[in-house]
Amino acid sequence: MLEVFGRRPYLVLLGIAACLLVVPFLPLNDYILHILTIFLIFAIFASGWNLTLGMLGLKTLGHHAFFAIGAYISAIVAYYGGISPWLTIWVGALTAAIAGVIIGFPILRIRSMPHVAIVTLAFAEIVRLIFSNLKEITRGELGFWGIPTFDPIHIGDMTLRFGVGNAVGSYALAAVFFVTVHIALLALLTSRTGLTFFAIRDAEAAAESLGVHLSRWKIFAFALSAGVVGLSGAIYAHYVMILTPISVAGPEMLITLLAMIIVGGVGRFFGPVYGALLLTVASEMLREFGDFRMLLYGTGIIFFVFVAPQGLAALKLRQRRGTTSRT
Amino acid sequence: MSSVIEIILNGLITGSIYALVGSGIALVYGTTRVLNFAHGELMMIAGYLVLFFAVTLELNVALASFLTLVLVGGAGALIQRATIAPLLARNDWAFQVIAATIGLSIALQSAAQLVWGEQFRTLPYFFSGVAVIGDIRMPWQRIAILVFAVLIMSLCAFVLYRTPLGRMVRATAQDAEAALAVGIPSGLVHTAVFAISAVLAGAGAILLSPLVTVNPWMGVAYLLKGFAVVILGGLGSFGGAVAAGFLLGMIESVGVAFAPTEWRDVIAFTFLIIVIWFRPNGLFAGREG
Repeated sequence: MLEVFGRRPYLVLLGIAACLLVVPFLPLNDYILHILTIFLIFAIFASGWNLTLGMLGLKTLGHHAFFAIGAYISAIVAYYGGISPWLTIWVGALTAAIAGVIIGFPILRIRSMPHVAIVTLAFAEIVRLIFSNLKEITRGELGFWGIPTFDPIHIGDMTLRFGVGNAVGSYALAAVFFVTVHIALLALLTSRTGLTFFAIRDAEAAAESLGVHLSRWKIFAFALSAGVVGLSGAIYAHYVMILTPISVAGPEMLITLLAMIIVGGVGRFFGPVYGALLLTVASEMLREFGDFRMLLYGTGIIFFVFVAPQGLAALKLRQRRGTTSRT
Repeated sequence: MSSVIEIILNGLITGSIYALVGSGIALVYGTTRVLNFAHGELMMIAGYLVLFFAVTLELNVALASFLTLVLVGGAGALIQRATIAPLLARNDWAFQVIAATIGLSIALQSAAQLVWGEQFRTLPYFFSGVAVIGDIRMPWQRIAILVFAVLIMSLCAFVLYRTPLGRMVRATAQDAEAALAVGIPSGLVHTAVFAISAVLAGAGAILLSPLVTVNPWMGVAYLLKGFAVVILGGLGSFGGAVAAGFLLGMIESVGVAFAPTEWRDVIAFTFLIIVIWFRPNGLFAGREG
């Protein structure tokens, strides 16, 4: 368990939450808050994907499809139905979870990693093309714009507004979702459920022989993982207020998020969070170089696979182990 | 009647490219269990190379193609030596190879974009004119794709099943360590297989380059189709991949006759998922699969 969560994971999470709480009181401009908001949303996405990729050991490559489903379904229901995004994000997340079950079923019978990778990748391509081709509803690649933002919240005299242009409110919202989702995931994964996941990952046949119902657990993990990713997509949609199929379900999204998880550490609880922070900030700093961004992600993946396949989270752990092992 | 023949012919032509790309991926997977996500970028590199030789240097098309195939084969061998071979000794190499080749794929795309920019370029037709058989009209260039693809795959099958190199490849595929023990240099065979696979991808790119544009992302679409073909054919089976390539081309061709063109890829990938649902080992689950 130590190698997944590190020492005192709740304390680490509390520390991250405290840092997040301080940020709005720092003299930061809106642009930096925007970058941090994107980081928080991508961190939820990456942690959600890590459930199947790292925790259960199912090497899926199509989770950007669930991000797109969460984003588009929530946006469509809110836009055409006139329903508050506070409600529609759950519709988006639920739809993504259902999609997770649908693609989870054919995957159940497959134990070969390449099959899983290719089938999930093909699924993501189907989802991208569907949103791209349903032009009457989504306007295709022209972009689905005019997505409503979260309704403002009134606290006493203060009104908290959301969406691009309302940096503080958007940041606070993303931070609340980030902390809530991570507390929930931590509670779940440190419980019996987490043990079952790791048992399936490390010794599938042995787990099965001990009475673990493999297919049920895999479907559950798929649905949960897809639901979390879908939720992050829905939050993203009502934040940026415009979606295009290629930007949310295209190969760049896959590469970006995969790089975050690998750089941070596949199968480490906090890995994706560190990876998301590092790469969101690094890629913003390289924005003026434009075309170099994807080169950074690509070479970053190769570098980490070769030098530190366990990611940033493991580097820190190894150091700590070294200092404590002597006592 | 003529439209039916046209659908079949178009399916065979598209399918032959899928078969070329897919059989290359299958060859590598069958021998080394490696799934190469940078396979599409080998096509892209070949596209730019043939453009350079044939248009910039104005070489004869046959010579340009030959030079391109030699160089892209070398690039394939280099990629295998530099990125894949070092990972194979590790425990979790299957996923690490997938991740590393995805990284390589996107890095090569960005590099191509930086070197050649975003302008989309096309090669002139190698063969001019249109074949007319009854009321069917088909440009010779498209027919040439089918003919050359079949020739190249036949040559590859001949090498694989009738030559000493092929015997070494098949021995290594069955058991790399045992092959090594009887004196087959498995490491070199792996590299050679990668080079052959790159040549197959390069051949696909050369045949396509007069019809589609050469651009940094041209490999992506064919990589996905190639993967679909490999799974449908039964992972690692060369013959299965060839058959599945033609089948997928045919399905797309028939699908497009009934649905708008933009749904073509949705039809292809949905077919893949449905097949996997019922036959997880593919349609032509091979002996090696």
